Amino acid sequence: MKIIYVLIPLSLMLLGLAVWAFFWAVRNDQFDDLDTPAMDILDDDEKSADDQAPETRDRRKTK
Amino acid sequence: MDLAVEIGGESRAMCCAGCRAVATLIHSSGLDRYYDFRDALPERPDAPEADPGRYAAWDREAVLDFHSGAEKEGRRRIVLVLENVHCAACAWLIHRYLGQFAGVSETRLDVGDGRLRLQFAPEQTPLSALSAALERIGYPPHLDTPHSGLDRDRNERRRMLRYLIVAALGMMQVMSYALANYIAGGSTDASGSMDPETEHFFRLISMLVAVPVVLYAGQPFFRSAFNHLRQRHLGLDVPVAAAMLLALFSSVLITLFGQGEVYFDSVVMFVFFLLLGRFAVMLARQQSGAVHSALARALPGQARRLTATGSEAVGLVELQVGDQVMVADGEVVPADGIVTDGDGSVDESLLSGESEPRRRAPGDAVLAGSLVTGGSLQLRIEKTGNATVLSGIVELLSEARRRRPRLARLADRAAAWFIALILISTALAAIYWWRTDPASVIPVVLAMLVVACPCALALGTPTALASATRGLALDGVLTANPDALEALPRVTHVVLDKTGTLTEPGARLVEVRPGSGLAREEIMGLAGALERVSNHPIARAFAPFDRGRAVAQAENVTGAGVTGLIDGRRYWLGRADWVSAQAGGCCTEPGEGIWLALVAEGADEPAWLRVDARLRAGAQALVASLVDSGIRVVLASGDREVNVASVAQSLGIAEFHAAMRPEDKLAMVERLQGQGAKVAMVGDGINDAPVLAGADISIALAEGAAIARTQADLVATGRGLQPLEALFEQAPRVRRIIRQNLVWALAYNLGALPLAAAGLVPPWAAAIGMSASSIAVVLNARRLGRTRRRRPAHSQPLPRTAAEVA
Repeated sequence: MKIIYVLIPLSLMLLGLAVWAFFWAVRNDQFDDLDTPAMDILDDDEKSADDQAPETRDRRKTK
Repeated sequence: MDLAVEIGGESRAMCCAGCRAVATLIHSSGLDRYYDFRDALPERPDAPEADPGRYAAWDREAVLDFHSGAEKEGRRRIVLVLENVHCAACAWLIHRYLGQFAGVSETRLDVGDGRLRLQFAPEQTPLSALSAALERIGYPPHLDTPHSGLDRDRNERRRMLRYLIVAALGMMQVMSYALANYIAGGSTDASGSMDPETEHFFRLISMLVAVPVVLYAGQPFFRSAFNHLRQRHLGLDVPVAAAMLLALFSSVLITLFGQGEVYFDSVVMFVFFLLLGRFAVMLARQQSGAVHSALARALPGQARRLTATGSEAVGLVELQVGDQVMVADGEVVPADGIVTDGDGSVDESLLSGESEPRRRAPGDAVLAGSLVTGGSLQLRIEKTGNATVLSGIVELLSEARRRRPRLARLADRAAAWFIALILISTALAAIYWWRTDPASVIPVVLAMLVVACPCALALGTPTALASATRGLALDGVLTANPDALEALPRVTHVVLDKTGTLTEPGARLVEVRPGSGLAREEIMGLAGALERVSNHPIARAFAPFDRGRAVAQAENVTGAGVTGLIDGRRYWLGRADWVSAQAGGCCTEPGEGIWLALVAEGADEPAWLRVDARLRAGAQALVASLVDSGIRVVLASGDREVNVASVAQSLGIAEFHAAMRPEDKLAMVERLQGQGAKVAMVGDGINDAPVLAGADISIALAEGAAIARTQADLVATGRGLQPLEALFEQAPRVRRIIRQNLVWALAYNLGALPLAAAGLVPPWAAAIGMSASSIAVVLNARRLGRTRRRRPAHSQPLPRTAAEVA
């Protein structure tokens, strides 16, 4: 049972990591727009995403 | 005119030039998929062509500095308020369409409130071009006033999200540690139980997680409890915060020094579920404020300031007291001022409720938000921005909106008593258990504090009203006074106004009586060409027939008619007495209604054109559904008997009153009320203001800027009457759900308290029970947020085009 003395601190580190990741997501507007991303997934035959200006692709990356 | 557009390989008929322009634009931009995504039909755009000049001032440095934030590489971030945003497909279309412009790097549209957050590079595509593009696809943009609460809302949302995430992750973690203990504690033989050292380790670890999580994520409750106590008031959060801190610190003490139960898992769970409830309430509240950008909509985008050399378009923020501005025919006054030159009439219906335009001469004051309807004015600015009368009105309105609904206040008061009751009975139970079984004191006290929290009682009404408000806003009804929603199902009589309510504002041509040898088509074409110079609502009835014939020496005589030379021949079109005075004696009106005479020079007999207002879409269905639900429908109008009777007949309204002044309508409403009736008055909100104020529930129909001013309890927006039908269908549901919530919350609290006092409820079960009761209430309320249905008829192009009249 000594293994829990390793595993539980490990789980605490994971917890810290998860909290940090979520805070990062909140800070970076990931939870601000919950309507349009749901539409993006349907948009498979849209070619323009590739042949558009680089700014547009930047935007897609940051999303 | 051929109004067809090819969409998806099929030719589709369009109702007007505006729709055709939009459909062509969507198609030619490769955005056909919009049609797959949309779940609500948009409004018809008003103008087929958008003029980028209308937004020219938005490119000025001062305007950009005021309304937008600078980003790196010369980019700017701005918030625009868009009209006519309906569904996620709008967001998709705007996102795609604007994304095609160079320099646009971010478009984020909040479908709930129509705010578009845009990041763009002004030197690649100026804001004026983007704004004109938005108007072209049917979403006219307005500048948002900074600090309008958008950032505040967003920060609040983010803070709550962070609390929620910490609580959720902490809860999972602490539960998993607790689970080990539960399993071990459940087994009796020696091999399954945990040795004390491991058990202590688990407790320490749980404490390590739970203490920071509760102290961080519980902040909203601690803060609110502290504020309530400081005001010597027993708020909802007082027992909540007390229970949290008690559970947390007794568990810490037990872990460090003593023996007994620890409640780390219960307290973290409690925090999480409570936060979940709060989060849902916060979302509902933020989304229900659908009218908050009224000020932005009521004012023009720019003003024309006079300089030494001419005039320049400037943003409203650049206007200073003492500036001279020009306001032309059909434009909106940008700030409060005094007329220094020019002569014209001003429609102040937005501000004063006066529906007739008033003449304004040099020396007279004009107010921001009023519309110049004839002539043009030069003004000296006296007050700008927040100092204007309009701004004050909007402020008053939003003040009224922050008011807590009556039922919610009642529930608050009940909750305060209930909290006192809980605290007293908890103290009594603590004394009892102290004397019989001291080990049970803490679990019993915790369970009582937690289980009896009247959160559900306090949440029941406001959440139901907030989500009903939101649901109705999607259907096109804005709720200014939430109490009205609750009172609406008790209504026995509905009084409808005719002009502007059952009928659309503006007019249409309904009858042509040719005279003096002119053919029907010819008469309509002439009228269309002549009325081009006029801005009168009646003139709009002729616009569909304008074939673009040249008119020389065109002149508009305010309040009388128009005249001009077509193909060298002079024509007069207008009021019969004016036309006969101009063209040489002729004629009297051939019948009831509004008749215009058209006389050509030298002709002796006039042609007659009758205009009338058309019924709003959905009038029939509204009356039918009201009658079906047992409500008496009364039509009261200031119009003449014949006109009112014909409308009443066509809609199946048995009871109608004609030629009523507003005082008469008010007297009638009061008479009905005297007989014990609950009266809802539906009016256009402008000339019906006194009647609306006198009715039990006032419902106004308003579009655009007028929404900001109306004092009605409920405002139906859009062109049709379908929103009202939705309102009357929805209101009984609102009432039912509020009742369910209150009954359920009371039953739960009164039932659970004795059980907890008897020691039958362990703290973890109390946490689940309390949270479940709150969440049940919130979820029940959220059912109202869903719209009843999305019927495609909502703004279907009804036969309102040339085809119908011709």
